[in-house]
Amino acid sequence: MYALNYVKARSLEEAARMLASHPEAKVLAGGMTLVPTLKQRLARPSHLVDILQLAELRGIAAKGGRLSIGAASRHDDVATSVVVKKAIPALAELAGLIGDPQVRNMGTIGGSLANNDPAADYPAAVLGLGATVFTNRREIAADEFFQGLFATALEEGEIITRVVFAVPKRAAYAKFHHPASGYAMAGVFIALTRDGVRVAVTGAGPGVFRWKAAESALSKSLEPSALEGAALDASELNQDIHASRDYRANLVRVMAKRALAKLSGKK
Amino acid sequence: MADTHASHTGHRVEDLRLVTGAGKYAADWSLPGQLYAHFVRSDRAHAEIVSVDVEKARSHPGVKRVYTGEDALRAGYDKFFVIVNWPGRGGQHIRKPARPALAAGRVRHVGDAVAMVVADSAAAAQDAAELVAVEYRDLPAVVVAEDALAEGAPQLRADVPGNLAFDYEAGNEEAVKAAFAGAAHVTRLKLEVSRVAPNPLELRGCTVQYDAKDETYHLYVCIQGINMLRKQMAFATDVPEERIVVHAQDVGGSFGQRSAAYPEYCVLMLASKELGKPVRWISSRAEGFASDTHGRANTVAGELALDAEGKFLALRLDWIADMGAYLTATGSASHTRNPATCLTGVYRIPALYGRFRLAFTNTVPVAAYRGAGRPDVAYVIERVVSQAAAELNIDPAELRRRNFIPPEAFPYKTPTGSTYENADMPRILEKALKLADWKGFAKRRAQSEKAGRLRGIGISTVIENTGAGLFPKDQITIECGRDGIVTVHTVAHSSGQGHETTFAMVVADTLGIPLEKVRLREGVPGKGLIGNHTGGSRSLVGAGSVCKLAARQLVEHGKSVAAEPLGVEPSQVEYAHGVFRTRGSKRKLSLADLARERPLTVTTEASVGSTFPNGCHISEVEIDPQTGVASIVAYNAVDDAGNVVNHAVVEGQVHGAVTQGAGQIFCEKVVYDHDTGQLLTGSFMDYCMPRAGMLRDLRIEDHPVPSGNNSLGAKGVGESGCTASLPSLANAMMDALRPLGVAHLDMPYTPAAVWHAIQSVKK
Repeated sequence: MYALNYVKARSLEEAARMLASHPEAKVLAGGMTLVPTLKQRLARPSHLVDILQLAELRGIAAKGGRLSIGAASRHDDVATSVVVKKAIPALAELAGLIGDPQVRNMGTIGGSLANNDPAADYPAAVLGLGATVFTNRREIAADEFFQGLFATALEEGEIITRVVFAVPKRAAYAKFHHPASGYAMAGVFIALTRDGVRVAVTGAGPGVFRWKAAESALSKSLEPSALEGAALDASELNQDIHASRDYRANLVRVMAKRALAKLSGKK
Repeated sequence: MADTHASHTGHRVEDLRLVTGAGKYAADWSLPGQLYAHFVRSDRAHAEIVSVDVEKARSHPGVKRVYTGEDALRAGYDKFFVIVNWPGRGGQHIRKPARPALAAGRVRHVGDAVAMVVADSAAAAQDAAELVAVEYRDLPAVVVAEDALAEGAPQLRADVPGNLAFDYEAGNEEAVKAAFAGAAHVTRLKLEVSRVAPNPLELRGCTVQYDAKDETYHLYVCIQGINMLRKQMAFATDVPEERIVVHAQDVGGSFGQRSAAYPEYCVLMLASKELGKPVRWISSRAEGFASDTHGRANTVAGELALDAEGKFLALRLDWIADMGAYLTATGSASHTRNPATCLTGVYRIPALYGRFRLAFTNTVPVAAYRGAGRPDVAYVIERVVSQAAAELNIDPAELRRRNFIPPEAFPYKTPTGSTYENADMPRILEKALKLADWKGFAKRRAQSEKAGRLRGIGISTVIENTGAGLFPKDQITIECGRDGIVTVHTVAHSSGQGHETTFAMVVADTLGIPLEKVRLREGVPGKGLIGNHTGGSRSLVGAGSVCKLAARQLVEHGKSVAAEPLGVEPSQVEYAHGVFRTRGSKRKLSLADLARERPLTVTTEASVGSTFPNGCHISEVEIDPQTGVASIVAYNAVDDAGNVVNHAVVEGQVHGAVTQGAGQIFCEKVVYDHDTGQLLTGSFMDYCMPRAGMLRDLRIEDHPVPSGNNSLGAKGVGESGCTASLPSLANAMMDALRPLGVAHLDMPYTPAAVWHAIQSVKK
């Protein structure tokens, strides 16, 4: 790690001020990606602005068909929250599949979304549920928020404060763990929302994406066979030493079917 | 299965210390005034070093000195010990090209150390290391051993034509040729035993303190035994062995990787002497992946000739071993002599021949890794035997049964010159078949099929030659002090083997005293003991069995000392349960009371040769054909480890070794980019370690046939689990895939690899 200044923000406003006055500063939430990156000297921020303890970023509440999760909520908070389990059980299940117990007790939903790792789990839920990302400046719809590999709509110094989900009729997530890292090699989130079926895929491509062909197929029938014909362009998927594009395309289809089976109450 | 030793049936006595953070590992040594070293490592596979500019680094605050290849050459640190000292094919000797302790002239693999920065803090050393500017001129790289041996391959060294380090053979080539000519059936398989990174939990580290007063180097380092490291360090640096003192307490895993004298240690010695202070270096995990030795890395073509009744006539192996960029002490012996000693497996095969070619590549050097070539050869033989069974439509257990060396043929002299002491394969097989419910497999397979899964069963029957060591004997010193505590000194260093429990049990039981009265001390400097490191499954068989002899000698010595206070001749003194008594009278004196006045010390030694642990492992796997994910659904192991001192320790060895085998079979593999030679699996994000949940229901039984070669009747058990699990699990995978038409698939059986194999046979 390179030498840097650590600042524990006392308020969201103070955090924003620090970021504005130090262009090379970085926000520290759970640090589950940032800290290893720093330790390997792959990043060199001038300051770390720690927002983990800010009261403005905490709290999980459901009201009027909407579930609000504070940005500094740990994965374990979400996985074990009675409120989340009641409103969107698939979201609680997804949070429980992230990393390992240590990661789940430090990593936060806001940190995960701001980082937008192409194999992270939360982006699949946020995009699949069509959630809204609230920041200290504005609201951003999920469809606008994710912009590919580690890229988001967040501007310099903008801090996620909470994520608000419209409670769907039903939702399910199926994940294929990367054998080494435990990230999603393919994760598929399917939600039956008031505006229709949404299918979000993480892990397989350069960033989370909506599988539109599956959405239109499923809007006609929720049978797994409906997915057989849904087009999926393997050439746009990732390929590396662990999995070919074709294998990832297969995983997307298989995970989608498994999510669908969960959605329908089958195993 | 009763313990032959009564003093302790519970868990290991060292575990409380180790799991409560009270262990002392290489990084836990902290010496007053110590300086910190950081290495600059090559980021390319093969290149000429045009220049190394250290000016900026040298003037960085806190930096004391920057070392480069020139310093290593000036010190004469360019040679490393290699065990192989016997001729190969055609009388040719192994080629041992120079290896400067810091690369000079050329870098030969990603991670090759180019410079070392020493500073007064670890951070300053790391900062300054980034300021060292190395100019390279890239050269073509080769990362696959077969490619390196092929015509037209980049030549890595002028003094190693064709990149061939050693060409070795064992057996009778002509006899094998003749047997193949007359065979009714021949089975052929070419197999990869993939390159793995051993990854002990403890990171490598070494602190060197040079003591100018007596011109002695003190090394605080993770090891497998002090003597083996001293011998190698003396060879590498020309410093006499007695001027090198190795200090180590706890070691967090070794697996062969911690047996080597690494070049980093030499440069640390240079720096400590010159700078007059201790110099400390602790590796990072990323550094470890690129500079700690790797294991296995063999490509082997196996051919088995059978007669019409399924009797084996001959076996031929064409073995290509990847040595990496440099020879290590153990890598070349591990992948020539070791497999040659077990080339016949557990079978009576009249004709054997193995040819072993060792190649240099632009990769991390290869050394011994748990089993050191024996798992590799067992893997090839057992894969070929099961393949032959499938081709001939014979039950694989039956084909083995037909070809076992019969128990009455022991001691059995193999055609490659080993003499197997004993084994009872027929009965081990029957025990394992029963344990695994071999006959019920068809039913279980049908059930799996109903659930949409493929199921396979795999068997291996293996034997291995254990006990290799650099030193001709093992010595043990036992002291009984004024406090009545019996202290046992050994060279064999534990890195998880549980010596503090088992060695102490042997002594406590021999002396008839409570285990709490016995302490084990490993590798205490200055004891001057001759003895071997922990490796080759030899520590209980070697040092452990000498503990028993030493305890007996302590009793005899005690009798002669006790005679005087007891007022009798030594021949009139008897001993039992910690008490000396006079024969026929009521006078007695406890060992503790005797030692309070007259402390006792004895040193005993023995030369203990090879033992031949053997066993049969039967495993079952289920495959989800949609994703290619394989799970181990049953694992049964029947092992002959000779007499057992402590069952918990033996089972722990089997658990660990089988899991390590499962890791290699299902996920572990070091991958280099074919063209650039970059290491693609340089962290746990990409290098897949086995997980605890991989093996859930391991059923173990033992079938002890005592060894006559040591006082305990024990056989080595540290590695046999790897030797048996690699072929057992791979055979299970092939048994599941073969009905689909998959003729061959190499390890690791990753989900992606399995799925592709299934797709390839689908129309």
